[in-house]
Amino acid sequence: MAEKFEYYDPKTVKELCKTLDEVGSKTKILAGGTDLIVEMRAGIKKPAGVIDVKKIKELKGIDFDAKKGLRIGSCVTCNELGRNPVIEKKYSILAECAESIASYALRNRATIAGNLCNASPCADMAPGLLVLGALITIVSSSGEKTIKLSDFFTGVKKTVLQPNEFVKEIIIPAEKANSKCKYMKQKRIKGHDLSMVSVAMAVKDKITVAIGSAYITPVVLPEFAKSTKVEKIIEAALSVVKPITDIRSSKEYRLHIIGVYIKRLYEQLVK
Amino acid sequence: MKTITFKINGSKYSKDVEEHKTLLRFLREDLHLTGTKEGCGAGECGACIVLVNGAPVNSCLMLAVEIDGSEVTTIEGVSKNGQPNSLQKAFEKHHAVQCGFCTPGMILTATDLLKRKPKPTEAEIKEAIEGNFCRCTGYVQIIEAIKDASGQLKSTEE
Repeated sequence: MAEKFEYYDPKTVKELCKTLDEVGSKTKILAGGTDLIVEMRAGIKKPAGVIDVKKIKELKGIDFDAKKGLRIGSCVTCNELGRNPVIEKKYSILAECAESIASYALRNRATIAGNLCNASPCADMAPGLLVLGALITIVSSSGEKTIKLSDFFTGVKKTVLQPNEFVKEIIIPAEKANSKCKYMKQKRIKGHDLSMVSVAMAVKDKITVAIGSAYITPVVLPEFAKSTKVEKIIEAALSVVKPITDIRSSKEYRLHIIGVYIKRLYEQLVK
Repeated sequence: MKTITFKINGSKYSKDVEEHKTLLRFLREDLHLTGTKEGCGAGECGACIVLVNGAPVNSCLMLAVEIDGSEVTTIEGVSKNGQPNSLQKAFEKHHAVQCGFCTPGMILTATDLLKRKPKPTEAEIKEAIEGNFCRCTGYVQIIEAIKDASGQLKSTEE
């Protein structure tokens, strides 16, 4: 990279809070680096330093507790999530989302929390996590708070995170385990590509739908009763999304595919 | 500058490295291991793939300082006693190499695949190499070579 920068590698959450208090406003957190380093190499981001969080044990691991639910540490990579037996058994949609991201080698580095913090409208983890009612734990030296993932994104590449804050973990409530769910991602090619549009659906006592690449943030629709007709769900979805035409797709095609995917998911999961 | 300690292709090193240097540039410029190539520099093409602690990663998107305490394998480290290994031989036999630019990344990606899945299906091979671009072969010979190296092709004449 052309620009020089400092490298910080805190070993504990406490050290990370201190580092962020000191240099948070002029640095970037480095997890997998698969978005950050691309942007730094392209000169889009020029931080004075990066804070590598991968040496912090408290940010690792995937744990399931029948009462508390699922906890995904913020440094868990896409491949770690994809091959985790608990995920496969109880929250399979998260493995589908994780394994739809980029290529195998990139998934060895890319993290689940990084995918969210990068806050792209096409973030593949977002729809799957949103339909499972994910919560996100944000930490700074002044304490810890847990918010809904649906309140985390504020715009294209924007989140509620302040310069002194970081994501510690993602929580999925226990009652969402074993939902019938599926993620569908429309791409230009079969291989490594970003989504043109994506739809996730989870069905348990209610129907939940989330959509990616169709608004300034990933969006989740209000829950539907299981008796809701599919036409109503599509209508509700199309009234919320506002896709644009860009290099990957036209607005009209995105709107069309949202309808097609909701219908397919409904037929598989609800009927 | 930061001092890092790591193993590359079995040998232990302790080196000073600039914080902003990518692993790819560190390998090529500081260690003169030029088998690892730079294609796109953005994680799309896989020419820069090396194994870090056994797992394939795009070295263009990793900082050299991040390999502190790790073990790295590059294309220079896969042959045995100066002889190509079975994957390299299979690539040669099936003409899976034309210009050769993607080959180091392909071999390392395939090395990891065969370790995880010793008898991969064609779909699994395609999925494994979806992050490795080849602009010469059209992939068919590469897929055949990986199948052959996994012992899944009927023997043809040598």
